[in-house]
Amino acid sequence: MIKAVSERELVLGILLEVTRDGEYSHIALRNVLNKYQYLDKKERAFITRVTEGTLEHMIELDYIINQFSKVKVNKMKPVIRNILRSAVYQLKYMDSVPNSAVCNEAVKLATKKGFSNLKGFVNGVLRNIERNLETITYPDETNVIEYLHIKYSMPKWILEQWLSKYDRDTVETMLRDFQKEKPTTIRCNLNQMSKEQLMEELKTEGVEVQEHPYLPYALQISGYDYLADLKAFQQGAFYVQDISSMLVSHIAEPKEGDICIDVCAAPGGKALHMAELLHGTGHVEARDLTDYKVNLIQENIVRSGMHNIEAVRWDATVLDEDSVEKADVVIADLPCSGLGVLGKKTDLKYKMTEQTQGELVKLQREILSVVKQYVNLGGTLVYSTCTIHEAENEGNVEWFLKENPEYQLISILQLLPGVHESDGFFIAKFKKVKYE
Amino acid sequence: MAIREIRTMGDEVLTKTCKEVKMMTPRMAILIEDMLDTMYEAQGVGLAAPQVGVLRRIVVIDVGEGPIILINPEILETSGEQTGDEGCLSVPGKAGCVTRPNYVKVKALDENMEEIVYEGEGLLARAFCHEIDHLDGHLYVEKVEGEIHDVTYEDEEMEEE
Repeated sequence: MIKAVSERELVLGILLEVTRDGEYSHIALRNVLNKYQYLDKKERAFITRVTEGTLEHMIELDYIINQFSKVKVNKMKPVIRNILRSAVYQLKYMDSVPNSAVCNEAVKLATKKGFSNLKGFVNGVLRNIERNLETITYPDETNVIEYLHIKYSMPKWILEQWLSKYDRDTVETMLRDFQKEKPTTIRCNLNQMSKEQLMEELKTEGVEVQEHPYLPYALQISGYDYLADLKAFQQGAFYVQDISSMLVSHIAEPKEGDICIDVCAAPGGKALHMAELLHGTGHVEARDLTDYKVNLIQENIVRSGMHNIEAVRWDATVLDEDSVEKADVVIADLPCSGLGVLGKKTDLKYKMTEQTQGELVKLQREILSVVKQYVNLGGTLVYSTCTIHEAENEGNVEWFLKENPEYQLISILQLLPGVHESDGFFIAKFKKVKYE
Repeated sequence: MAIREIRTMGDEVLTKTCKEVKMMTPRMAILIEDMLDTMYEAQGVGLAAPQVGVLRRIVVIDVGEGPIILINPEILETSGEQTGDEGCLSVPGKAGCVTRPNYVKVKALDENMEEIVYEGEGLLARAFCHEIDHLDGHLYVEKVEGEIHDVTYEDEEMEEE
């Protein structure tokens, strides 16, 4: 028997799916890693690193290629374009791969994909870039937008939006943080075992574990291969969740006996967290739009072993008469432009547009107008997004308070990646102080 | 050490059922050595005796964790599922998508004719199934889902331009 696929071919397949067919990178990558489970740890790590790195640095890589190729990147055939991008990524960012191997493998792959007529071109461009990599000139730093655009591969409209609100240093801190490799944050399921026990267990499985500074039950883990293979994960002893998401339930502060609703709950992390904070009392309803999402929540509930929580299919834009003024805590973690998690969803920055952002603001307002009705007097409404965008965040809070005088703003928090040790995230907490 | 000729699809020897090995003879020991050499030289991860024209129930495998020698292998247990491309030294330049169990437990004799049990997951499980199929005259192409496709590399060193 022979192994039929090479890592670089799989990477090319994923890049084509993402850049040509519009698939989300994390989905395309997950599909390949699930399908080729027999790949060893090193190969899996290589595929993940090259795919994510190439997408993350794509504007910069194209800028480099265009300096050395007469045919501009946007005129190339998709296969050739993506072979070059991932090869230049390896040349520039991966010292562990010898440059000659990068060039040879790229040429072989072009041949294998039916472009043997272009192998001279691929080889020529890559050898040329390899020789001149140290002397590539970048846009001048005084041209802030152009410089940040190329250096951090960030679309200009996003930079303009951020620079109109934050100073240059803050924006560059965020951009730098997106490109950093970070450990996975997990929340201990304290119903299953103590934090100390879990840390021990993870260490015996060869995982590196550290405590997170923000919350006592949050840990940071790294050095594992396939998360779902960890025994502690299968037992439901922890839940993968960014610290910012944990802060949502933490800030929501459910008290024992409380009735809680998470109106857009999939995959269920915040709802499960609330159920845990209730210590087996009260009730959490974790809602989402589709069967697929509800199943995701259901799986996680089963794994957690908790009983004061259920997953329900319900469209958040539709009023559920039975829930009106029934909930002590409502969490509305709504669909958003996701600009706070660009480090994780590497291709989102190329897919999001200002127009979509505008539509999202409308959707967020629509949902808030419905779900605020579920809060009983004295109850709490938490609105959160994983974006850094004034209109979706502070703008919506201002709108909400104006429209709904029965609510009081308790707290507001905008987390910025790099400035805070978390994703970019927004959390606003309201209290219903009188009847409508 | 010797490299033997690898038979390719179309050769009748690949369709026949192999005979059990009753005892270890110098001839068999040399065959096993040659099979390992042949597999490594061809950059395979597994090779069965009929692929070098010998109708005996012998398999060699190395998925990167050292050589495994299986004489008269028997699958005791399988579970799970994996779907992915696989190729075969007897079907050069091609690959196709095959679903196999993700876990396989195998009983066999080693080169000293002592019983040994192996458990494999992922690629190793796939290799166990693929090679043991050879001993009963089966090739992976019978199990391919969809089309068999080309994986030919034009293997030439590029000169710096």
